[in-house]
Amino acid sequence: MAPLQTVSRALARSATASRAPAATAVRAMSSTPALRDSSSSYQSPFKGESKTNVPDFSKYMSKGSGSTNALFSYFMVGTLGAISAAGAKSTIQQFLVNMSASADVLAMAKVEVDLAAIPEGKNVIIKWRGKPVFIRHRTAAEIDEANSINVASLRDPETDDQRVKKPEWLVMLGVCTHLGCVPIGEAGDFGGWFCPCHGSHYDISGRIRKGPAPLNLEIPAYDFSDDGKLVVG
Amino acid sequence: MLARSCLRSTRAFAGLRNGAVHISKRAASSSSSGSAAESPLRLNIAAAAATTVAAGSIAWYYHLYGPTADASTPAEEGLHPTKYPWVHEQWFKSFDHQALRRGFQVYREVCASCHSLSRVPYRTLVGSVLTVDEAKALAEENEYDTEPNDQGDIEKRPGKLSDYLPAPYANDEAARFANNGALPPDLSLIVKARHGGCDYVFNLLTGYPDEPPAGAQVGEGLNFNPYFPGTGIAMARVLFDGVVEYEDGTPATTSQMAKDVTEFLNWAAEPEMDDRKRMGMKVLVVTSVLFAMSVWVKRYKWAWLKSRKIVYDPPKTNNIAPRR
Amino acid sequence: MATAIYNTLFRRNWTMLGAVFVGAFAFEIGYDNVMNKVWDNNNRGRQWKDIRHKYVEGGDDE
Repeated sequence: MAPLQTVSRALARSATASRAPAATAVRAMSSTPALRDSSSSYQSPFKGESKTNVPDFSKYMSKGSGSTNALFSYFMVGTLGAISAAGAKSTIQQFLVNMSASADVLAMAKVEVDLAAIPEGKNVIIKWRGKPVFIRHRTAAEIDEANSINVASLRDPETDDQRVKKPEWLVMLGVCTHLGCVPIGEAGDFGGWFCPCHGSHYDISGRIRKGPAPLNLEIPAYDFSDDGKLVVG
Repeated sequence: MLARSCLRSTRAFAGLRNGAVHISKRAASSSSSGSAAESPLRLNIAAAAATTVAAGSIAWYYHLYGPTADASTPAEEGLHPTKYPWVHEQWFKSFDHQALRRGFQVYREVCASCHSLSRVPYRTLVGSVLTVDEAKALAEENEYDTEPNDQGDIEKRPGKLSDYLPAPYANDEAARFANNGALPPDLSLIVKARHGGCDYVFNLLTGYPDEPPAGAQVGEGLNFNPYFPGTGIAMARVLFDGVVEYEDGTPATTSQMAKDVTEFLNWAAEPEMDDRKRMGMKVLVVTSVLFAMSVWVKRYKWAWLKSRKIVYDPPKTNNIAPRR
Repeated sequence: MATAIYNTLFRRNWTMLGAVFVGAFAFEIGYDNVMNKVWDNNNRGRQWKDIRHKYVEGGDDE
């Protein structure tokens, strides 16, 4: 059955082709035996519409010039990309903002201290974000002492001016930079702080002078408000 | 899906039965799918059966689990609150902060004597209801525990912005004892926590009749309110015309105060609403623009496929050898 | 005109990409501003910043 069908298909093809004038001459040369039969017995294998309607797409054709169309297409694609990029950036940003400190943590992050209650030459320790903060009301002699030191000889060279906003108020984190103990005030070889854990000596400006600690005591962010208060944080 | 799989099984079954015939046919012809076994009648029967099975199983499921059982009578459910056109519930509308300020005044002068608002710190009031100075002054009116000092004692200090609004009672037991055994709920999330939200709160506050309707059972120490589930509510009517005096001169009618305090409680439950809606507006606009553009780009990318033609141009000569 | 823009911006991939990213940056700023204006306009008189001046001591108008 199979060969029969192939033959009939070939017949259909040749029937179409034989309408061309040159067909007979070519066929004469071909080795295939001419299978001539009545072409009227041929039936199209396709049912339904036999007429071929080639659709006309010309109304879809753009009226603009090629360069304008290219520009517009690239503009649309580019704008799509740009807006998507902006949206993606904004989305990622929102997720990252999520990770930052929440409002209640930030609200606890500031501590106010009334400076009028601290007499000259006294230390006050307050808690700020779970860490002790040393506040010292320094005397004039202490300020002079802190300024008289040769900065170049220090392990962590900092002038006293860099460490205070007002010379009479020294504000710093009470955490030893060695291993995080809390130093003792008004102790040590240099009249400042002394860390009992491993024997680090800090001077009256909180700078490391002797012992294992590598750095000066850290200075938190703080500010003096107008009404004589210190705001740490 | 079910219908389709049914159809498929029918076809497979038919194929099994006529297997031998099919195989020989397939070997012979290039058209494999068209078979006499799948007559339209059989397909129709299969489709009808599948539909019956599907519809029947849905009906059976609904019969088993569909209708909800009402355990409560309508009185126990409470009257459904009337819907009001709250402006702040519109898609792109913020809270009316003037109303929030009035509502906070109502809360402070009326509600706060029994109800806590324990999830609202003073700092959130800043910038939405109060100025910094007002909030600080308000916070300092209350005392809070300090962290333990060197001796381990806990002292009292004036409130700060980071503190939360104080509760009227020390604990739930004290609140129950003072209120005849009924616990005044915390109002921080009350708008989210009650069916009907703002409408419920407003209707409850304004829905006390002058006297309970004839035949209504009102328990000892309870008040009749049709909107409260069970209709017997321990809270008496609290809002009467002129109970508070608004600082901005708005007439303090019962409904005005109820509306203001409801909006304030909505703010307490959703303080982020303004930002959320603004962000939502931006997102909606951008995504609709993006969607429109992506539709355009899709059409542009597929234009070659939609507008192509396949034309068979027959060869001019006929020296084509029949293929074998 | 169109050809000039096409040649400067879209012809090479890196200029196109650059234009897209610069455009995204500019769009974000501009869009934020515009939408905030729309929001403020839609909610005029309802937001805290509209009524704040009444309550700040030594305020501007009251």
